[in-house]
Amino acid sequence: MHKDDKMTPNQRLQAFMTGKEMDRILSIPVTCTMSGLASGITHKEKRSSAKNEAKAQIDCYKRFGNDMLITDYGLHGVGTALGSQTNNPEDAVPAITDYILKDLSKVDMLDPSKLTLEKDEAFRLHCEATEICVEKLGHEVPTGVLISGPFTAAASIYKTESLLRATRKDKENLHKLIHFCNENLKKIYKEFIKRGAMILMCDPIASGTILHKKQYREFVLPYTIDLVNEIHKAGGMVCYHICGDTTAIVSDMVESGCDMLSIDNIVDLSYVKKEVGDRVPILGNVDPVEVMYLGKPEDVKRSVKECLRKGYDSEKGYILASGCDLSGNLPLENIDAFMEAAREFGKWPLDPKNFL
Amino acid sequence: MTISKNELLKRMSEGVLEMEEDVVIEAANNYLEAGYPVLEGILEGLVDGMNKASVLYDEEEYFVTDVLLCSDAMYEGLNILRPHLSSDEVDRKKPTGVIGVVHGDTHDIGKNLVKIMLETAGFEMYDLGRDVPLIDFVEKSKEVKADLICLSTLMTTTMSGMETVINLLKEHGIRKDLKVIVGGGPISQKFSDMIGADGYSNNAVEAVKLSKSLLGLV
Repeated sequence: MHKDDKMTPNQRLQAFMTGKEMDRILSIPVTCTMSGLASGITHKEKRSSAKNEAKAQIDCYKRFGNDMLITDYGLHGVGTALGSQTNNPEDAVPAITDYILKDLSKVDMLDPSKLTLEKDEAFRLHCEATEICVEKLGHEVPTGVLISGPFTAAASIYKTESLLRATRKDKENLHKLIHFCNENLKKIYKEFIKRGAMILMCDPIASGTILHKKQYREFVLPYTIDLVNEIHKAGGMVCYHICGDTTAIVSDMVESGCDMLSIDNIVDLSYVKKEVGDRVPILGNVDPVEVMYLGKPEDVKRSVKECLRKGYDSEKGYILASGCDLSGNLPLENIDAFMEAAREFGKWPLDPKNFL
Repeated sequence: MTISKNELLKRMSEGVLEMEEDVVIEAANNYLEAGYPVLEGILEGLVDGMNKASVLYDEEEYFVTDVLLCSDAMYEGLNILRPHLSSDEVDRKKPTGVIGVVHGDTHDIGKNLVKIMLETAGFEMYDLGRDVPLIDFVEKSKEVKADLICLSTLMTTTMSGMETVINLLKEHGIRKDLKVIVGGGPISQKFSDMIGADGYSNNAVEAVKLSKSLLGLV
């Protein structure tokens, strides 16, 4: 347990779920992409082995006492297993350079066997990293896996711009593609759930910045409902995140049945609390770039206070978090400051005087 | 029977706005066959429709998909009309921009939208694509004597490449000859100021207004 805390993250989460007292607010700076910094390794080194990936998470936890370890199946995992190509940068998340599916009408030719543990080495690696995290620290802190939702998985197979055109011009094959992703994601999620991970489902390509609400309801929501249902059947929990402006779809997102909702920093936390705070716990939404990457510790503390002010009294509960995954070469002092602020301003019982 | 010029301009404009490629193609061919002035067909027909689409996009009536489909229709029409511009019309000086997604990143929808909007606004755009080596922005700008460089990225880890481009422009002595605008998910006005860019905008329509105002075109 972190020296400045009085409860372990497991105890804190348990208290949160059962409405009991805790020492401080749950606090999840999303230390995923950047986690190698805590171990002094680059992103490439972190993603090169399960041991490194797990070590980066454990080192983050040791330093920060953050409330969740996060392994990284990632957003491109489905596409790359099927044959989409990425670059291989030293210190950044790889980006897709070539898509396996060029012609949507050939969607039936995608080979689902490539997405199995037997055949997909990266999938095995992230499962193994999850196992190490759970084995070493499962008694103390939950582990989650950051993993794509159905629309983003589709966008790792077929270029996003073409995907958007297909929402008008080739609905049938697009539905086939998303269905394919969904059926395989179910199997992939289950492997992580089996190993004790919570599903952190991220579907950034379904963002309101890119898709209209109508497209979300037609091409994303039905699949997500189905997936969440499967997650629950497998005994798992899911926190649902979409990047960018989800103002128009927060209520729809909750319709998915997700257990928690995480929102981007460009969405107003007060609005989300008002819209869906009575239905799910909300996570958010310190700006990962402007505050965490470019800001100073005092900016972080100010931003944490503002989030607490807006979110603390959300009916189903509020969890302090960054508005998205933290990435880039950010000063670790900013994450220290994030946790210090959570302990100082978010100590129990929550008192608005502490964050005014 | 010959269809009037105004009727064909209207069909092209509405075809673009309604994302109907077939309508645009037919109207553009009819327009050409009737011998009406080509430049006017482009500006008062195709571009007019795209301008209306960008107004709707700005008003959040249209979304990214709509803009892409409108632009598909516009480019179909342009492919028909453009080869028939007179050499004077082709050579007329347009504001020139170089655009691309910085090295390390391949997310290019935002960049493509900005390119479409700037082309619609009359800019000659050179698109370097995605994952662009930073020096290429400098070299292309020199080659085409660009007035404007547009840098885009969606990833936090590649943001710093934008600052590198600005430094390279200084090293090559052309920083003062052009304006640099930046955009993309993690980018903000604060970041733009930090790296010494000339401006930031958070969407494609704003990027056009920003570019025009930076270049004194309004």
